[in-house]
Order: sequence, then structure tokens, then C-alpha cells
Amino acid sequence: MAKIELTASEQPCELKEAAPPPAGQPLVVGFKSVTKTFDVGTERAFTAIKDVTFSVENIPNIGEFIGVLGPSGCGKSTVLRLIAGLAPQFPATSGSVMVHGEPVVEPGPDRGFVFQDYANFPHRTVLDNVAFGLECRQVPQKERHERAREWIAKVGLDPKKDALKYPHQLSGGMNQRVAIARTLIMHPRIILMDEPFGALDPTTRQRMQDLLVSLWRELEATVFFITHDVPEAVYLGDRVFIFSPSPGTIAHQLAVAPPDRPAREMQQEPAFLESVRHVRSLLDKLEAEKTKPTST
Amino acid sequence: MFKSWWKRALTIRDAPSYAEGLVFGAACIGFVLFVWWLLTVGEGDARLVDAYTLPSPGETFASFPELWKRGLSLSIVISLGRVIGGFLLAMAIGVPLGVVAGSYPRVNAFFKPLVIFGRSIPIAALIPLTMVWFGLGEFNKVMFIFLATLAFVIFDTVNTVNAVPDRFIDTAYTLGAHGSRKKGARIAAMAGVIYGLLIMIGWHVLSESNGNGLFAETPGPAESTWAAQLFTTAGFIRFIVGFVMGFLLWFPIAGHQVLRKVIFPLALPDIVNSLRLIFGLAFGYIMLAEVVNAKTGIGALIINSQRRGFNEHIYLCLFLITMVAWGIDRSIMLLQRQLFPHIKHGEN
Repeated sequence: MAKIELTASEQPCELKEAAPPPAGQPLVVGFKSVTKTFDVGTERAFTAIKDVTFSVENIPNIGEFIGVLGPSGCGKSTVLRLIAGLAPQFPATSGSVMVHGEPVVEPGPDRGFVFQDYANFPHRTVLDNVAFGLECRQVPQKERHERAREWIAKVGLDPKKDALKYPHQLSGGMNQRVAIARTLIMHPRIILMDEPFGALDPTTRQRMQDLLVSLWRELEATVFFITHDVPEAVYLGDRVFIFSPSPGTIAHQLAVAPPDRPAREMQQEPAFLESVRHVRSLLDKLEAEKTKPTST
Repeated sequence: MFKSWWKRALTIRDAPSYAEGLVFGAACIGFVLFVWWLLTVGEGDARLVDAYTLPSPGETFASFPELWKRGLSLSIVISLGRVIGGFLLAMAIGVPLGVVAGSYPRVNAFFKPLVIFGRSIPIAALIPLTMVWFGLGEFNKVMFIFLATLAFVIFDTVNTVNAVPDRFIDTAYTLGAHGSRKKGARIAAMAGVIYGLLIMIGWHVLSESNGNGLFAETPGPAESTWAAQLFTTAGFIRFIVGFVMGFLLWFPIAGHQVLRKVIFPLALPDIVNSLRLIFGLAFGYIMLAEVVNAKTGIGALIINSQRRGFNEHIYLCLFLITMVAWGIDRSIMLLQRQLFPHIKHGEN
């Protein structure tokens, strides 16, 4: 081939400037100098995030996938919980948190949340776990079970064999599939994932990454995905946010190649590995700054 | 063969087979019986312990028909009835109150002083007080059990509710769980009707004035039927009181999806478990109350046996009480397995 086409995955990730939000169009998520301090005014006062500003634009028919990286305890989860409206992180101490142009008031099914430890209700079968959100919305039982079965199949479980099992009868990967189905059945515009694959073994993890990519394409939702795994963030993300150590702020926003091939394949390529190396060096630099003795 | 067995026996946490465990349990019973037999073998002065203080195993078990004739089965039923009555009341109030207090810390802060007081009060001191407040009859026994166990039921329920991990509640919220007053009111009204009927009928059963009630000493006038006595103005007022109580206790739980669908069902297995333990306690308390003041019940049977010198009956009663308590404990555990298939239950 004479002309080498530069495909998206071959270009190493580029630094993207935190562009000012385009006027007029409501943002999917907008943070404006958001600070969260716990126990304000006491000796235990602790600032989890400080002056966090970012915006996710509304691209019609396409949701953005944002990987969130950063050292432990830097307030990544705080950002997600502020978007979800979950206490005690919500409400923010100062600044404004806007979702679809409106300030966040309370949690709701338009912002789905997937936790690391799945949090499947142990007293409900897989079917009733997946149907929980519809049940809360008073969808009649027959309809909600039908739709739950569809979603059980979509996440790669057997709607016949697995639907009536309890969470304690499933493996970690299967439980996380249930949790994902339970969140996505509500068709959230925003999906918040806090280290969802952190407890899974590498093989299961890659399979789950592929599953997530395919489901996300279909749903066209905006995804925030916290992880400690740099390749995972680079593979899944359109953008990667890198947080500085506590009190957390967004130190870098990078645009990376979208996941257009299966995880196992793409994560072996030189361009991909180059991107990962670059992100790692940025993270290491942030960590080094943290451990450096502060001058008084 | 023996050497390898001995080595396993000395291994920390080496679990024996079911049969081997049974053998060890049987060995303990055999040992106790042997010591008992040793202490009581022989006649007259040859015995280590005289027949009055400690009858021999044979004498004790041989006296069973005599004890049965003294109304053993009825005594057990009466004692159990008192415990169940008082405990049901403590449960009916303590469990919903505990769930609400566990979910709303301000409610908990309000009731905390009362709960601490109720848990720390010496139970035996309640007996004379309940006699002053509720007389000497059945009402007294039921209220004694109620007062003795209520604080424990509330305290344990609050703790189990607090133990429900936050992530389940967060998940429920992000899936859209919300307050649902209409449905809550419907369910709470049903609970109210049940509470009202229980209070109305329960009061009637326990009351001993005017020859009403099951335990009245003098029969009531023949022409007034049970139903006619039940549906009086006073009965209606009792129903209303019960209805309001049931409605207020259950509305906060039924009226919010997070409580109804997540917190309450998740806490329930542990609530039932602690209720099982508290029921065991209550069974002990009723003996105390019956020994002090009762004409019927196992406690009364024991104290009468002692007064009349039938000491072998006391030993037999103790044995039977433990059997009944153990049997109830086991049946509740079996029930737990049926009710909560998603939980693995401990063997203790």
C-alpha cells in the first residue's frame, strides 16, 4: 500500500485543551469550579475535590465515553456521586453541577450508577434485580419481566437458566452483567461507573469491556468510567480525565482513539501501547509531585 | 488408625463428620446421666445425695405420668401462650419502630433514651410493678413479657437496619426508587386493620372483669355471647386505637420504595434471627413471672412441686422446658431457611 492512512488508533493521544463550553447548547454535564469539603469548619475538614471544571458537550446521537484516572483518594468517586446526586458527597460545597442544563437536585434513573461490588439485591432473583427500576416506575409485572429477560440476554446471560437464580449463585463477572443490565434497562442518558471491573480477572475484564462498548454504542449514552487500569481507560475512552492527588482537580484532559476493535486485539497494538505509556508518565508525574516535600 | 484419628482430633478447626459429632454429643449426655446415677445410687444413707435433694434418674423419669396428670400439657400451652402474646405485641411495635428509627437517625435519637432505659432495667424489678399496673391476671403476664422484650426488639432491629450497606440504598435511588404515599397508605391501612382486630380481640381474651375473657374465674351471664361482648363501644374504640397505631407504624415503611423494597427486606433475615434469640429470653422471663405469681403455667407447676415436695417434678420440668425451647428455636430456624432462600444460616 502506497499511502498509509492514519487511522484513529494509530495516532497517539493528544492533549486537548479544556475548551470553553460552546454557548447556547446545553451541556450533558457541566462542572463549574466545584469544590466539596466534608465536615466544614471542624478539625476534620477534608477537601475531596477542589475547583473542578469540565464540560461534556451534547453531540447528537453519540454519547461520549470518558475514562477517569487518578491516584487513589483523589476524589474521582466524589465527581461521579455529585453527578448522580448521592449523599454525603452531594450537594457540593461550592460551584455548580449541571446535568442537561439543569442543576442536580436528587438521584434519578436518568443517571445510572454501576458500583465495583455490583450491589445486586441479594433477596431478589436476577430477573427481579434487572426489573427493579421498572418496578419502581410501576410498570406491570408481565411487561417488566419481558423487558428484563431481553436485557438479561443482551448482557450475555441465559434468560432461561439464569433469570431465577439469586446473586449469591453467580460469579463476579455474571453479577456485574446483572448490575449493568439493571442500570441500562432504564435507558439512562448518563451512565456512571465506579471501577466496575476492578474485582474481575483479566480475561473476564476484557470480555466485559467489549460487552460494554457494544451496549454503549446502542444506547448513545454518555459514560463516566472510573478505573485504575490505564489500558482500560485508554481503550474505552473517547476522552480521559486525569485527576491530581487530593484535593482532586482535573490535571489533564486527553482525547484518545475510540475502541473500534475488540479489546484483546486493540490492546496489543504499538500505537495503543504508546498512548498507554504516555498516560502512565503523566500519572507518575502527578504522583511524584504529591510525594515531593512541600516547601514552607 | 487411632493415631491418625488422634492427630486430627488435635488439629485446630478440624471438623468431624456428622456421625462423629453426634457420638460426642451423646457421650456428654451419657456422662451427665452417669454422674447423676453415681450420686443417687443405693438406698438410704448409702446414697451420696439424698432422695429429696436429688432423685435418681429412674425416679425422675418414672414420675412423668404423675406430672402429666397434674396438668403438664395445659401448663405448657398456657406458658407458651403468655410468652407468644407478649412477644407478639413487642414485635408488632418494636420491629416497625426499629426499621423507621434505623432509617431516620432523628427518630432513633428521640427513642434512644427509652431504649437504653428499657434495656438496662432489671427485669425482675418489673414483676412487682406490672402487678401494680396490670393486676394479677393474664394481662399482667402478657404486659410483663411485652415490657421486658420491647426495648431489645427495637435495639436489635435498629442495629440490623443500620447494617444494611449504603450501596444498596444508593443503587435503589439511582434506579428511581422514590416515596409512594398512595401505595404506602393502602398497605398501612391494611396493617392498621390487622392491628385493630388484634388489639380488640386480644383485650377481650385477656380481660377478666364481668366474667368476660377466657380466664375469668366466674362465668359471664349466659345470654351475652362472645360476639356481643366484642362489638361494644369500648371494643370499637380499641379497634380504632389499634388501627391508628398500625397505620402510623407501617406508613413510613410502606410509603417509601427504598424502605419497602430494599431496607426492610434486606434487614428482615437478621431481624428474624434476633427475634428468635429474644424469644428464647422471653421464655425464661415467663418462668420468673410464673414462679412469683401465678396459679397456672410451668413456672407455677415448678413452685407448687417444690412446696409439695415433688422435687423430681422440678427436674422433669426443667428438662421439658429446655426441650420445648430448643424445639421452638429449631422450628424458627427451619422457617428461616424456607423464608429466606438467599441466606446461608449458621447452625448456632
